[in-house]
Amino acid sequence: MRSLKREMLVALVTAVVISGIWLATTRLIQKPGSVVLAQNSSSAIPRRADRKPDFSGIWQANNGANWDLLTHGPRPMVGQPGVYPDVPVLAAPVVALGAIAWVPPDLGVVEGNEIPYQPWAAKRKQENLANWLDRDPEIGCFKPGVPRAMYMPYKFQIIQGTTKVLMVFEYAGAERTIHLDQVDPYPADAYMGHAVGHWEGDTLVADVSNFTSDTWLDRSGDFHSDALHVVERYTPITRDAFRYEATIEDKNVFTRPWKISMPIYRHLEPNAQLMEFQCREMAEETLLGHLRTNQLVKQWEGRTMRVEVSRKVPPGNGVYERHFSGNPTSKELAEQPPTRQ
Amino acid sequence: MLVRLFMLLTIVSAGVQAQSAKQFRTPWGEPDLQGIWNGETLTPLQRPARFANMPVLTPEEAAKAEAEVDSRPGRDKRAKEGTEKDVAGAYNQAFFDRSPRSLHLVDRRTSLIIDPPNGLLPTLTPEAQKRRAAIREYEQALLQGTSGGRPGPPSPLYFEPPPFYNVDRLNRADGPEDRSLQERCLAWELPHLDTFYRIVQSRGQVGIVVDAFQGQGFVRTIPVDGSKHLPASIRSYKGDARGHWEGDTLVVDITNFSPKSDYLGSRQNRHVVERFKRVSQNRLEYTITVEDPTTWTRPWTAMEPLEKQSDKENQIYEADCHEGNYGLMDMLANTRAAEKLFKEEKGPNPRTMDIATGGGVDPADQKYSFGRAGAE
Repeated sequence: MRSLKREMLVALVTAVVISGIWLATTRLIQKPGSVVLAQNSSSAIPRRADRKPDFSGIWQANNGANWDLLTHGPRPMVGQPGVYPDVPVLAAPVVALGAIAWVPPDLGVVEGNEIPYQPWAAKRKQENLANWLDRDPEIGCFKPGVPRAMYMPYKFQIIQGTTKVLMVFEYAGAERTIHLDQVDPYPADAYMGHAVGHWEGDTLVADVSNFTSDTWLDRSGDFHSDALHVVERYTPITRDAFRYEATIEDKNVFTRPWKISMPIYRHLEPNAQLMEFQCREMAEETLLGHLRTNQLVKQWEGRTMRVEVSRKVPPGNGVYERHFSGNPTSKELAEQPPTRQ
Repeated sequence: MLVRLFMLLTIVSAGVQAQSAKQFRTPWGEPDLQGIWNGETLTPLQRPARFANMPVLTPEEAAKAEAEVDSRPGRDKRAKEGTEKDVAGAYNQAFFDRSPRSLHLVDRRTSLIIDPPNGLLPTLTPEAQKRRAAIREYEQALLQGTSGGRPGPPSPLYFEPPPFYNVDRLNRADGPEDRSLQERCLAWELPHLDTFYRIVQSRGQVGIVVDAFQGQGFVRTIPVDGSKHLPASIRSYKGDARGHWEGDTLVVDITNFSPKSDYLGSRQNRHVVERFKRVSQNRLEYTITVEDPTTWTRPWTAMEPLEKQSDKENQIYEADCHEGNYGLMDMLANTRAAEKLFKEEKGPNPRTMDIATGGGVDPADQKYSFGRAGAE
């Protein structure tokens, strides 16, 4: 019975200390003008029974990273030289879209605003950009990969289970799982990689590997090989936002690891939910329309607009002619090393 | 001393109670259905005729039935070499890589359907029979005069669109819409029985990653938060799913299916109610009730027990049907090439060739398989 009394005493002291801290904190955040602090205080972050943050919810990045990871001004989605050679105008595939066909400007998300490409890879990135319509996996509704899936202009849902964090992406119905428990190695490559997670304080850290070479990082031709290794960090900022950081490493393509960082926001609509975006059939006309017996997309013959659309797919860039992204694999790079400048 | 003993007993019994309740409860108190679950089974959706009035077999009968199926050559059996049928049957048994559980009748049952009690799908409505006949007539017309079809000249129906949105493999490849939903990687079919599932839960949300043959897998998100169905104008392959708890059972109501989706001939009027009930550590009873007054004369119910798998050794692998879908493009490209050769008088008329019937499930195996074959 004596030990029970001692336990009760310990509990009482603990309770007094905790309430003291709580009172101090409350007083602090109740100061006039401290409302923001109250919202930012870690006590507002949804937590689980084990006190770890709960990232469950519907989320979306709200930035221009999927267009271009680097700081960029407006530019045509598809352009051509105009009257002045250095002032581009819209090219045929998007000319009817007018202002919609211009990429919105935004600040970049890359630390130092520089992607440390090896010289051959810097050249390839420019080629990728010039061949965007033929090479960007997003155009074909192919899986977005990581980290790109996290900042596409679509909602995604996190279902944080007891030992698995399931992420479901509206775009293409893609999904990925972060394993918080012991799991055997993934026996293959995966577009969305294989992710193993652990906690560092309030930060969920995911180590992602086993990638293919067939995903891109944005719509500007930024790319990687199958040696890609991503370390992600998810840190709560407030109840409704978390900081997403990804350190990107690829010995085939970059000279050093580099990092992107951005906030990702919760959808606050009361009935926020994912909806089905089965883009595979949406991309069929683009990928396979030329193989129809009777072509559906003929030369544009608008009511008042006559536009000659003639796009020749450059040799080697046909869909599935090689990898659909145009990226080389580790094996190809080893067999035919790119010329280093 | 007596007091101490009493306290100890109280603590121990409370601990045991807490543990057994905690076993199937998430830390936030909802029933816990999480993990990888295997639903593969030899038991077909519908009861084969030879097992009429035998819903459950004796151990001897079951062993005999299983051994008989096991001894069949299955997909390794080839059609006559060099025939169109042989070329179309490109996948052998190894591609289907089923678990050992798929070689056994689950609980020695002869059908997954538990209602109607005869283990068979209910009678089709006259409307559905008409629909099915129209689709069948169209498909047969496109095969007319080929090695896989009835005799006769190529049918003028070849130049007409199908009576309903096509979900099958037609004997035509004018464009992607002539190919089956499977070939186009659009087979997000619900309900989806006889496969693996990963269930992950957070408070008020359930996610299910559904494995399916040949990279057709897909992921579902089910709000279990009292929210209402989407407006009827929003239609999708997976439909709109809303869950609620009835005791420890997760009940999911699915509506808003697309007219382009298909389950045993039921399309946009399909209404599916799923029940997930965990009855022990390793057993989850998955019950579906399917209702479509434009297809069946009454609702029907099937129950499939799922078996828990090791979370460490097993994963649901990424479904990459679309990423590797050279087949769809090649199917169209080959037919265009054949048309060109025919025009140059260097090859046969592609319209006289059969590119539809090969590669399907052998009729001898149909009574043990799922899918459309089970609906015939």
